Amino acid sequence: MEKGTCPVANNVRALSAILAEGRIPVARCRQWAKDILRLMTDLGSGRGGPEHFHAMQALAKRLQFEGENEDCAALGKKLISELQTHREVFLSHLETRNCPLGDCIELSPAPCQMACPSGIDVSGYVTLIGQGRDDDAIALIRKDNPFPWVCGLVCTHPCEFMCVRGRIDKPIAIKDLKGFAAERAMSGGKYANPQKAPDNGRKVCIIGAGPAGLTAAYYLALDGYRVTVLESLPMAGGMMMVGIPRYRLPREVIDREVAMIEDLGVTFRYNTRFGKDVTLDQLKQEGFEAFFVAIGAQASFKMRVPGEDDFPQVIDAIEFLKKVALGEHHMPGKRVAVIGGGNVAMDAARTCIRLGCEEATIVYRRSRADMPANPEEIEQAEEEAIRFDFLTVPIEIEGSDGKVSGLRCLRTELGPEDESGRRRPVPVEGSDFSIDVDAVIPAIGQAVDKSGFAPLTDLGWSRRNTITVNQASMETSVEGLFAAGDVVSGPATVVEAIGGGKRAAEAIDRYLKGIPQPKMPPVPVRRQRLGSLEVPATTKMMLNRPRMQMLGNDRRRVTFQQVELGLSEKRAREEARRCLRCDVCVRCGKCVDICRNKMGVDALQMGYLAFDEPGHTDFRVAAERCILCGACAANCPTGAMKMEDRDNERVLTLCGTILNHLELEYCRSCGAPLGPARYHDFIRKRTEETGFVTGDGKLCIACARKTTARAHGEVVTPTPPV
Amino acid sequence: MSKYYLFQDVKNCIGCHSCEVACKSNKDLPLGPKVCQIVTIGPRMVDNVPKAAYIFMPCFHCEDPWCVAACPTGAMQKRAKDGIVFVDHDLCVGCKTCMSACPWGAPQWNPEIGKVVKCDYCKDRVDEGLKPACATVCTTHCLHFGKTDEIQPIRRERYARAMASLE
Repeated sequence: MEKGTCPVANNVRALSAILAEGRIPVARCRQWAKDILRLMTDLGSGRGGPEHFHAMQALAKRLQFEGENEDCAALGKKLISELQTHREVFLSHLETRNCPLGDCIELSPAPCQMACPSGIDVSGYVTLIGQGRDDDAIALIRKDNPFPWVCGLVCTHPCEFMCVRGRIDKPIAIKDLKGFAAERAMSGGKYANPQKAPDNGRKVCIIGAGPAGLTAAYYLALDGYRVTVLESLPMAGGMMMVGIPRYRLPREVIDREVAMIEDLGVTFRYNTRFGKDVTLDQLKQEGFEAFFVAIGAQASFKMRVPGEDDFPQVIDAIEFLKKVALGEHHMPGKRVAVIGGGNVAMDAARTCIRLGCEEATIVYRRSRADMPANPEEIEQAEEEAIRFDFLTVPIEIEGSDGKVSGLRCLRTELGPEDESGRRRPVPVEGSDFSIDVDAVIPAIGQAVDKSGFAPLTDLGWSRRNTITVNQASMETSVEGLFAAGDVVSGPATVVEAIGGGKRAAEAIDRYLKGIPQPKMPPVPVRRQRLGSLEVPATTKMMLNRPRMQMLGNDRRRVTFQQVELGLSEKRAREEARRCLRCDVCVRCGKCVDICRNKMGVDALQMGYLAFDEPGHTDFRVAAERCILCGACAANCPTGAMKMEDRDNERVLTLCGTILNHLELEYCRSCGAPLGPARYHDFIRKRTEETGFVTGDGKLCIACARKTTARAHGEVVTPTPPV
Repeated sequence: MSKYYLFQDVKNCIGCHSCEVACKSNKDLPLGPKVCQIVTIGPRMVDNVPKAAYIFMPCFHCEDPWCVAACPTGAMQKRAKDGIVFVDHDLCVGCKTCMSACPWGAPQWNPEIGKVVKCDYCKDRVDEGLKPACATVCTTHCLHFGKTDEIQPIRRERYARAMASLE
């Protein structure tokens, strides 16, 4: 991590140095500077309140205008300008209690939270699930994401790729834990909406009831706005509903979570297409003051091969999945080729199997490792006997009399890397062959269907045909019009759309209240500081990531029943106990360095701390070697490493993992705890050469001093002989 | 032993604790650690009069200190030129082994910095030709600091006087 990049930490360092060097000799000014430093330290360690910033400004002003000499005034001036220049960063530290650069060490955020596009406080909710507080976990998640259940089933979980536990064995099953807690909270009737702000009478219109639109609706409704959502389909959910098949995401899940949003007073206008059934001007006349475009990317890319437009059996994946989701359970053909290697291709192929197709083949132009689809999805597709033709590119759809009879393909070879960092497939001359199929489903990518937006001539579009926005505020080039989700990013994930929707809701709130928009991208918020779950080192090492229970393969071939059956309560609670709590332990490695290189004890085997080259980790080694001297705990900058005395024992824990505990020995005079025998043996061995000490060395320092003093005190001047 | 000697004339000490205050202030210490400490013995009835003794307890700067032997990091050191035993805060990691090893309870814990502090005869002051902070403020002048060969034979003289008074 680059040092000296966060302005808060920089200023704390600079001001500490100025004070330590005695450069402010006037007592009054020095006190002001000290107060500013204290406030700034609070702010950089998560202990700051809303008044901290103004208090610092006021003190800096006093330094500048009431300072005794030029040095004081110059320092005041410098601080005022620093506070002004980095105002947003200072305030963000106060509001989010996260320092994205990790320079303010106590506010160093957990990698999982930083990886989450909607910025969920992952360590927080995982801990709550470990405590059995599923409904609190859901309430915590919903501060950043109103769809914990949907995401618990279908999220692409970028958090798990960053999970530090993955450097020891396997990442925490973050997604599955979320799904578990959401289902429990919902079925227990404890899935509740937070308190809504009073109605402010202002109207916001959201175009598109997908994840981005519904998320914005949720947060705006909570802020007291009157929200109306336009949707061209007869139901809410967008691509969650008509893109993701039911065996991955049951309809009830979407319906229940959408109902929670409806419960906040959000109005839905179904079967209403923007630009066709209603125009922007009409909506403005209705009194809507801000608009949020979240129409997604619903159009499909064309393959541009001969025969593509000639047969009814060539149906693009988006259209196909939508029809199936809306209830048209017709088999597209007996033998189907699905073109593409993304999640949509997997969904289409697996849907075909469920509709009764004899064979579904995925035709992909690169290799298996290059497939953009989720690894779980690819695995499950393989289990369901989907065929894969890798390194294959279609060149023609063959057929006659309006019926597809085959797909003509070329083999490819992987050439040099392209701009996406993947090797570009190069067709091999003369390698053409045919696959016998009677239906073809291209799933090679989606684009935005911008037809309804033609009258908005001022709206800026990118070269990729997505709406151009300011990424910090999601504002478009049209005033009062915001956009997020696939319509901005191009086809992406549910959780990215949710993140965009949340950001847009914040921006719309600012816009309608006349508050300036932020310049820096939002920082995820540390929602809660929770104590760690206490786990013995052995348990921490022995627990394995739970294997998801799956529906049997026979069932999968005939029904749309949910494939992933969820975690059992026991496994979910255990899984939460594997979490390393990276929101508390910042993995600076000080403890390991001190124990190994300074103390020479080498009791901490924690190779996962090294980011680039993780070494071997075994928390159990501490129980064999640790002498419980406490140097690691004394030097831990965040309090993750703790040593305490309880129940006759001295105990060392790292974020709740019990590394070592040994029986205490006590002062024979006053009974104060001294330390375990192993600690005293360590000292005895080192001091053996020094010489013999009277007594057994079992005195605390206070009693040792008193005893010595008494021995001295008894030496009185001898009474002279009479 | 170090080249220096810090002698307390117990008979003259009134237990005002000025030495402790000056020491803590000089070392900028929080609540807790007492680098030097006045330990009160008594009061006890002697010839029907209550009497107490106030014993000044600094570090003795042993010839062969246990604390230096115990310290695993080399933070606790004995200064070669004059034998002052001191702790280098850049090296101290706060394992407290010196505290457990010292038979006299001299090394103290500074919770504010998580490191050990101990009496070093105010070596920075001594190097400037000054006396340690404690000896500077002693109200009854019962703390005497100097080189071992310069120490006044106070006790010997007092005993001699007592003997002489018999005659």
